[in-house]
Amino acid sequence: MSNPTMRSSDLVFAAGAKRPTKADVVIIGNGALGMFLADELVERQVGSVVVVGPSHRDTGASQAAGAMLGCFGETTTESLRTNAARTRFELGISAHDKWPETLRRLDEFAPSDRPLQTTTESHIILNSVGAELDTVNFAAIIDALDQYDKPWKEIDPTDIPGYNPRPESRALRAIHLPTEGAVDARGVLASLERRLRHGGAILLDQTVRRLVGSDEEVTAVELDDGHLIEAGTVVVAAGIHSESLVRTVFDVPDLMPTFPGLGFAMIAKRTGGEPFTSVVRTPNRGFACGLHVVPQGGGLEYYGATNRLVHTISSVTWMADVRFLAQYSMQQLDERAATHEVTKWCSGNRPVTLDGFPLVGWMPLSGLYLMTGTYRDGFHCAPLLAEHVANELQGKSGIIDSIFQPIRKPVATRTVESSIDEYVTHSLAAWFETGAQAAPQMTTSQLTDYYRNMAVQTYEQLGVDYALGPDILWYAQGNLHGARRVARYLRTFKGDGDVDQPTGATTGTGGTR
Amino acid sequence: MPADQPSVADTVRSLVTQRLNLNGYSQDLRPDDNLWSLGMTSLTCLGLMLSIEDTFEIELPEEALKESTFRSINTISAAVESSRK
Ligand SMILES: Cc1cc2nc3c(=O)[nH]c(=O)nc-3n(C[C@H](O)[C@H](O)[C@H](O)COP(=O)(O)OP(=O)(O)OC[C@H]3O[C@@H](n4cnc5c(N)ncnc54)[C@H](O)[C@@H]3O)c2cc1C
Repeated sequence: MSNPTMRSSDLVFAAGAKRPTKADVVIIGNGALGMFLADELVERQVGSVVVVGPSHRDTGASQAAGAMLGCFGETTTESLRTNAARTRFELGISAHDKWPETLRRLDEFAPSDRPLQTTTESHIILNSVGAELDTVNFAAIIDALDQYDKPWKEIDPTDIPGYNPRPESRALRAIHLPTEGAVDARGVLASLERRLRHGGAILLDQTVRRLVGSDEEVTAVELDDGHLIEAGTVVVAAGIHSESLVRTVFDVPDLMPTFPGLGFAMIAKRTGGEPFTSVVRTPNRGFACGLHVVPQGGGLEYYGATNRLVHTISSVTWMADVRFLAQYSMQQLDERAATHEVTKWCSGNRPVTLDGFPLVGWMPLSGLYLMTGTYRDGFHCAPLLAEHVANELQGKSGIIDSIFQPIRKPVATRTVESSIDEYVTHSLAAWFETGAQAAPQMTTSQLTDYYRNMAVQTYEQLGVDYALGPDILWYAQGNLHGARRVARYLRTFKGDGDVDQPTGATTGTGGTR
Repeated sequence: MPADQPSVADTVRSLVTQRLNLNGYSQDLRPDDNLWSLGMTSLTCLGLMLSIEDTFEIELPEEALKESTFRSINTISAAVESSRK
């Protein structure tokens, strides 16, 4: 595995043009991961840095993110069940500790006088809309807070500022997390741009068409108009586009597939009533990240979010998702949201790996580094991942567990039986949450049988024995493209022993336990 | 193709019979019969697709991954033939 350290060659510019022909590091992708990495490299003054990415960031996740800095709010029953999941969870805890310093760096570059950190606290509500999954995840959150000795307090839901649901959807329990807040994702990205320009990095408002090199090394990137930039190191941080970019130079059959987790959210201007002053959210819900509102400053509020694994990368919004988000925000968060003015529709693709774990590390080709697969908390983890990757690019030791190496077998965290159970629980949660109605004589246990049968049959038809997460199972069952990608990839490991079992690692990055 | 090799349509028929559990029906299965009407579901279609690709060692083009491709022995055979070209 290659592990080149950075050269400190000077920037070489094409004659008369502003665009470089050479750089020490070319970062492909201007989302949170690419931008925070560039910032860290510039801060360390380790050579010339070019970031390539379209300024509209269309289809990107970061520009659509709620940017909750949540690790405990994101806890599910799965989060601490295995060593591998715990390692992943602790990545979030360590990332949390990086944010105060990160914000100090960015503050003076903020694009407006709206604060970048829009709140420092969260409230988690438990209502009865989201079925049993809400209850068990709510308990898992409290359990995790206690295990890691973090502050929280049970409060009367009616005391949450701004919280004003319809009476039939009101929460009967709520907890206050005084140290888990959110940032304004779009403001942070704009601040990073300004700070990077100030620090001498070059931001190119273009896309990379392909990586240039051989079977053994990557030496340059080719932009959409044919312009070439030679690079000491190429970092692919293009979110959901990363996999296809890597494959332009290197067709690795065992590179884990990533799937677009298309998500929708909206930013609205409050027109009346008491504003939210904290993140107010449900636990993570069926196949998705729960319903939440995130204050944005300036009278704006972010309402999110949906999650749907899809075959094609796009920035479309489903009408069903608009209905879902609008209706449930009014019903479960604040009924006055009905008259709020939507100022922005946010749509983006979370990079979702087949095993749900990030892909961060050197590729087998010299000079090529991959960082993606952060799914639903990549914004939060970006400053920490930037530190890790900057270390690795400099030839120093990294700070996150090696379990996230990009060329790996999928990490196994469950049995097929528990995967089926999980799928059933998520499906039921989604059924009730979306307001689906069954005939009165149809009981929940009949619905359970139906979903269980679907899951069992899906495994039979796919012919795989790796236990999939509920979202991936749903995706594979729902369309032929998805099924084929999942089955083909997993079959490359057949007869090759087993997939990676959870390692003995019990600590994540920070040993926070 | 040597004479003793089964034709594409014969192989497709036997995969369809097996994957869709149509053993009792197989004699009467006509090349144009609508498999969806014979009880194929989106899930059994998924397994059929994978076994077709495995058996013929082909990768159906993206645009062929749709319900109509798997409508009958004829439509499947046509998709296999065109992927082999
Ligand atoms: C609706 C929604 C809500 C979310 N909420 C949260 C949250 O509350 N907290 C949290 O931590 N995370 C959240 N996430 C997840 C988070 O956004 C992602 O995990 C993270 O932002 C991924 O960052 P990235 O830089 O890897 O990818 P992206 O943000 O997708 O960035 C990739 C960039 O690469 C660019 N690009 C693509 N192709 C090319 C190319 N060929 N050449 C050059 N550039 C290219 C794209 O334009 C894009 O800007 C949310 C995601 C969504 C969709």
